[in-house]
Amino acid sequence: MDERLLSEFVRICGADGVLHEPLQLLTYECDALPHLRMLPALVVLPASASQVQAVVRLCNRAGMPFVARGHGTGLSGGALPVAGGVVIALSRLNRVLDVDLANRQVTVEPGVTNLEITRRVAPDGYYYAPDPSSQQVCSIGGNVAENSGGAHCLKYGFTVHHVLAFDAVLPDGEIVHLGSPMADTPGPDLVGLFVGSEGTLGIATKIVVRIVRRPESVQTLLAAFDSIDAAGGAVSAIIAEGIIPSAVEMMDRLAIQAAEAAVHPGFPSVDAILIVELDGPAAEVRSLFQIVEETCRRQGATGIEIAADDQQRARIWKGRKAAFAAMGRVSPNYYVQDGVVPRTRLPEVLRRIRTLEARSGLRIGNVFHAGDGNLHPLICYDERVPGQGDRAVEVAAEILSYCIEAGGSITGEHGVGADKTESMGKMFTAGDLEVMQRVRAAFDPRKLCNPGKIFPAPRLCGEVPGTYRQRPVEQAGSAERF
Amino acid sequence: MSLPSVLSFLQSCNPAILQSGGVREAGPLDAIDGVQPRALVEPDSPEMLAELLACSSRERLSIVLRGGGTKLGWGGRPAGIDLIVSTRRLNRVLAHAHGDLTATVEAGATLGDVNRELARHHQWLPLDTSFDGSTIGGMIATNESGPVRHRHGTPRDLLIGIRLATTDGLLVNAGGRVVKNVAGYDLGRLMSGSFGSLAAIVSATFKLAPLPPASTTLVATFRDRQAMAQAVSAVGSSQLEPAAFDLHVAHESGPAPHLTLLIRFATTAAAIDAQIDDARRLLAADHIDLVTGAHESELWRDHARRLWTAAGAVVRVGWPPAALEGVLALVERIGREGASAIELVGRAGVGAGSVRVSGDTTTQVRAVEHLRAQRDVIGNVVVLRADLAVKERADVWGPPGDAVALLRAVKTALDPAGILNAGRGPV
Repeated sequence: MDERLLSEFVRICGADGVLHEPLQLLTYECDALPHLRMLPALVVLPASASQVQAVVRLCNRAGMPFVARGHGTGLSGGALPVAGGVVIALSRLNRVLDVDLANRQVTVEPGVTNLEITRRVAPDGYYYAPDPSSQQVCSIGGNVAENSGGAHCLKYGFTVHHVLAFDAVLPDGEIVHLGSPMADTPGPDLVGLFVGSEGTLGIATKIVVRIVRRPESVQTLLAAFDSIDAAGGAVSAIIAEGIIPSAVEMMDRLAIQAAEAAVHPGFPSVDAILIVELDGPAAEVRSLFQIVEETCRRQGATGIEIAADDQQRARIWKGRKAAFAAMGRVSPNYYVQDGVVPRTRLPEVLRRIRTLEARSGLRIGNVFHAGDGNLHPLICYDERVPGQGDRAVEVAAEILSYCIEAGGSITGEHGVGADKTESMGKMFTAGDLEVMQRVRAAFDPRKLCNPGKIFPAPRLCGEVPGTYRQRPVEQAGSAERF
Repeated sequence: MSLPSVLSFLQSCNPAILQSGGVREAGPLDAIDGVQPRALVEPDSPEMLAELLACSSRERLSIVLRGGGTKLGWGGRPAGIDLIVSTRRLNRVLAHAHGDLTATVEAGATLGDVNRELARHHQWLPLDTSFDGSTIGGMIATNESGPVRHRHGTPRDLLIGIRLATTDGLLVNAGGRVVKNVAGYDLGRLMSGSFGSLAAIVSATFKLAPLPPASTTLVATFRDRQAMAQAVSAVGSSQLEPAAFDLHVAHESGPAPHLTLLIRFATTAAAIDAQIDDARRLLAADHIDLVTGAHESELWRDHARRLWTAAGAVVRVGWPPAALEGVLALVERIGREGASAIELVGRAGVGAGSVRVSGDTTTQVRAVEHLRAQRDVIGNVVVLRADLAVKERADVWGPPGDAVALLRAVKTALDPAGILNAGRGPV
């Protein structure tokens, strides 16, 4: 890299805020989707919004693409570096700037973790509602980029429902204030457009979020079923009762086994479990919870365990939230898929996945947000077996095609990122994508801000889809993958 | 542009538009702020709407999109209108997937009609409007909301998918039909608050809510603004979960202001009773009434229309919920300084509402200036309804923020010829 340019980045972020040695860069070559990797030319660690702005301006002058990165927990390669580009890591922008309990708002920098907000306000009886499974480590900036959800978004909505305003460094380096801590900002909802744009429209540097009062009562039950179909039937029956639980989660046998092996939550050894949580005023939860319990029994639950206290509830949730990582206990490698189907189509799509599992010879665990039809099939494979990695990718893609056919989506919460750009054309027409690209160009006419994400691009000459395998030169750190 | 030339334009764009019977000469009732359109066109298919926009863009015909026509007076004075394009004939409920709690409806369907249809499966699109005949498209474009916003949010919060007609004639989908979906840009939210300046909304998909099993409203009146502000703070920091939490403040001729809170509980009967008991303990009110059944529906209908059935300018405002006492003080001051009447209706928990101020033009203009002067107490002040004389003197949209260049770039990207909503804003 050009020495003079390098020294300009150092002048902005300080010597300890610029990484350019190949070994240092390795940490940033991927996010939590490890099969897509790329060494950036440079990683910068700005410590203020004005440093972010200066870096972006310098990237513009030098014509270098840049990628913002939170804590690298994304599952779609949204923070995958661009060849020859700069990664702007926001981990040093990690201050909670203001806690305003009276107005139920907290102002944070993007590197603050999701759970940190709740930690700050919990003693006063408040919490931050969106709860992705990675909430202990994922950053709010990343949540904004991905419009992160979580188990409780069935009732409480996604990040976009909880972000009121933010400052953003636009792709040309201008800083703008979008939204407002007060209601009803005039004009088109740019906050709503920006949240979930996967880092392609700019970089949020100061974020105002809404916090929520802890509900008076929370009740959680774990119901065991003989089949996924029966569990799915129970979900539909609960909704048909006019009840919107705060969470409805389902796990199948393989996922249950994995969770048991990893964190011992004491789940029963059955074909499917359902975790249903209700919260709200005590009298409401009491009467609705009874209906939920009866409904589960009527739909064939073979056993029901009700969390007696917060400790038991935490144990159930630990088992659920550890499910992805736990797959490592039952398989050397696994691929997490994220697709959505209309809730009523769940049983049918799950049957198709079962058939696919038998045909492919790869085991597929299912952990999902059943309340909103968000599937997370975990496709097990062993990368040491030739061809299995590629097979896993094919199986994952086929599951997505089931989701699209059922009228669903190719991603419910993990994002399109670099991983699913080729599936976008199956969900949207060329015209749909063209208009979205026009909006993108209005923000980023020079295509420098996280290029290569969301939208399909012609595949590079000779490039073959498949899981990533590191080449020897890359292992030695002496070459980048282009 | 004269009517004959409009007709020949439509003929050359697509004769089917004229044949569909959806074209008529505009009359004085179609004028907006005194600006007279030439003709009114009502396409009967999304394709025809898209084609009409494309032809208009090529010929640079100025268009104002219209749903039920209930909020056409909102916004700045149009620079000129060739065509009013109405979505009146695109008014079907396309799908109600009750098992999935979603519905897809065309832009010209009214909220009332949609909710009558959804009620067959004990569900509803949890929005409310101050006007009979508000359409889904108009509610998205203005992001109109009412008391149930406290629980369910505004149209943008419930929107999960949208279909648009762009000015180059494309029919474009964004989002989808499932409640959880992060694929692609959220163009639906971009349309929210756009007032029809970027593209035409053809249809939209929403997440729905089950109809609540029961409902009761607690009406509390207060002697002074401190007591009311304290009550709002107490409810806001409590674990009560009302479906609506609204306030009404009025200063009319008499010396004492009228200060009321309306708190609606909509859940199981047992939970309503328990929460009302809790609320009574929290509220240091002068007087408390409980209203239910038909009286309750009537109460909320009157409340939603209150500002719009009386004279004067209606101004939308936002405030930090904890600054309510300051908001009430400001309203009282404006009332003392010459307004013949001033009232505020809004969402106490969210800090969102509208102020109606009546009096002569100067009084109304000064009221808007006052509302904009205390920026830590009141923000996002937008004149919704006002006489042209008031609009010409009070800045309708208020000072543009620092995103104005960005908004213009988005506008240029989607409406390069600038045919949509010229002069009315917000972009």
